[in-house]
Amino acid sequence: MSERGSIEVRNLNKTFARLDSGGTLCAIEDLSLTVEPGEFVSIVGTSGCGKSTLLRVIAGLEMPTRGEVLCGGVPVTGTNPDRGLVFQEHTLFPWLTVRRNIIFALKSSKRLGANRAAVDTLIGKAGLSEFAGSYPHQLSGGMRQRASLIRSLAVSPDVLLLDEPLGALDSFTRMTLQDEIIRLWQERGNTMVLITHDVDEAVYLSQRIVVMSPRPGRVTEVVDVPMSYPRNRGSSDFTELRVKLLTALNFASEVEQEYNL
Amino acid sequence: MATTATTTTETDAAAEKTILDSLETRASELSIWELRQIEAKPKTAAGKAVDWLLRLLPLIVSLLIIAQYKFAPNFKEFKPLDKSKPTNLWVWFIGFFAAILLARVFISLFSLLENVRFRGDKNNSRWNRAILFSKRTSQKLRRNAPIYTAVFILLFAYDWATLKTGRLPQPYFPWPDAILNAMISDRVILWKSVWHSLILLFIGYSSGGLAGLVTGIAAGWSEKARYWVWPVVKVLGPIPSTTWLPIILIVASSLFGGSVFLIALGVWYPVTMTTMTGVLNIPKSNFEAARTFGATKAALIFKVAIPASSPFIFQGLTQGMSIACTALLVAEMMGVEAGLGWYINWQRGWAEFAKMYAAVIIICLTFFLVNALFSFIKKRVLRWKEGGVV
Ligand SMILES: Nc1ncnc2c1ncn2[C@@H]1O[C@H](COP(=O)(O)OP(=O)(O)OP(=O)(O)O)[C@@H](O)[C@H]1O
Ligand SMILES: [Mg+2]
Repeated sequence: MSERGSIEVRNLNKTFARLDSGGTLCAIEDLSLTVEPGEFVSIVGTSGCGKSTLLRVIAGLEMPTRGEVLCGGVPVTGTNPDRGLVFQEHTLFPWLTVRRNIIFALKSSKRLGANRAAVDTLIGKAGLSEFAGSYPHQLSGGMRQRASLIRSLAVSPDVLLLDEPLGALDSFTRMTLQDEIIRLWQERGNTMVLITHDVDEAVYLSQRIVVMSPRPGRVTEVVDVPMSYPRNRGSSDFTELRVKLLTALNFASEVEQEYNL
Repeated sequence: MATTATTTTETDAAAEKTILDSLETRASELSIWELRQIEAKPKTAAGKAVDWLLRLLPLIVSLLIIAQYKFAPNFKEFKPLDKSKPTNLWVWFIGFFAAILLARVFISLFSLLENVRFRGDKNNSRWNRAILFSKRTSQKLRRNAPIYTAVFILLFAYDWATLKTGRLPQPYFPWPDAILNAMISDRVILWKSVWHSLILLFIGYSSGGLAGLVTGIAAGWSEKARYWVWPVVKVLGPIPSTTWLPIILIVASSLFGGSVFLIALGVWYPVTMTTMTGVLNIPKSNFEAARTFGATKAALIFKVAIPASSPFIFQGLTQGMSIACTALLVAEMMGVEAGLGWYINWQRGWAEFAKMYAAVIIICLTFFLVNALFSFIKKRVLRWKEGGVV
């Protein structure tokens, strides 16, 4: 379990101080999860169930309240360019052009030398060739999201954590990019953890789907997707899995209702 | 195009279109200027006549200035001293601007030929280019004409009130020609004064700005630094830095060093304030994104915190610039024995009013140029800002 790109979350608890009420809020409770190197895992769950928090802890942006997270067998104590994170909202630096944003990432991770030539190739793959010299505010929402995605990809991390990276896109671009993500993942063989609200997306992309329930965040179910790539969105296996997941999610939100009462 | 377009505007639009089509522009991609043309409201014939009158107006007024200066009788009680007889310098000076205006009017007039087409060569692109250039000049002239006219009217009135009628008490208000001559005759020392003032301003401003940047970032970054910087800023901030001048005059070993300190102090305060606010306002996600790429602390400060808060920093630098200019003049008038402030005081002592005014004008010009350079830099640095720089 000490191979590069593995993730091991052990009995994670993450509690936030609530500044408004002076109390605390338990976002994640006793969550354990193992991701094999090179695996593609999706996390689904209703809004506010702690998905982003889990990803931020794995990335090293938040420290666990209790429990621990190991990546490549080493406890996570801070951020590392080996674990890339694409944020839910785009986090491009507004004062840098698209190309310079990517070069910033490469420079910060000291990986510029080997990847300089790949920058423009990546920009082209994201369909942003014409906008490489544009500032983020000159791009559309979807273009910004794509630019964020390729900025994280440029660093070639062992683990890529994606927080709803395709959320702002129309369904057609979304599908194209889903294929692109699969292609890149197969090409690079890195570990992928993807958060999504879209059950189709989870089934289409991942090998394993983790269903989370809210307040406190817990894993309620783990669903294997034993289909080979490329997948057919119309196949009966696909539909069957979709229904299974929706049922699981429904159950998860019922749990939420119980908690709310 | 608007449905209310008159026949003139329709033919205009047609001519416009042939020009645009004939340029080797791609059908869908308009240049910024073409876009403006399309977005502009159509004009009526009367509106166009008014436009042409306005284009001519500054030229007319400038000729009036020359006519008055040369041909109207001078103030009766005015007894010219040897060194300040009215010369032709003023005529040359105004004439220079009149010549430029005349050239621009001619270039603009050329655009009236836009409907002329040569037989067999409908899309002569060199001709079209010339027309486009002329139209651009014409628009620019139209835009600037009112302000030019206003300036020339003021100059006309001032000449009238001084040299021609003496309405303004003499010799406290020298006429423009005398001021120009004073500039020429004292050019060496004036140039030296400008240079000295600029050096003092530059050293004071940059050291104050740099210090402000350092304390501002430190205070925005760490709570501990804020604990110490904040009370200092609170207490010293609202006090004009020139308050310390008498103390500095006594304590400072060199007046130059003292003045640098004075200017720097005035700049330090606003830059510290705005930089601190700027750093505190940076969205956390900027730092987090940088951290996921493994950015070092130095990179977080220099590559994230500083550029992210640069709009705020420039706000402080702008405030600091006007404070620095004031402090500079005060320091030069009170103690430093060089520079424009000193020169003004010195000439006032000798009742050389023309030279005094010459210095005032040069101060205005110098500060204007310094500020223009500053805005240029600011515009370039902040061009990433949505909505541009105000
Ligand atoms: N920094 C924080 N301080 C306090 N509470 C927080 C903080 N970050 C997250 N939370 C809380 O933790 C819970 C989980 O948040 P999280 O962002 O992980 O949800 P999510 O599953 O990503 O939701 P969504 O799908 O809407 O993005 C929420 O109730 C939120 O209010
Ligand atoms: Mg989230």
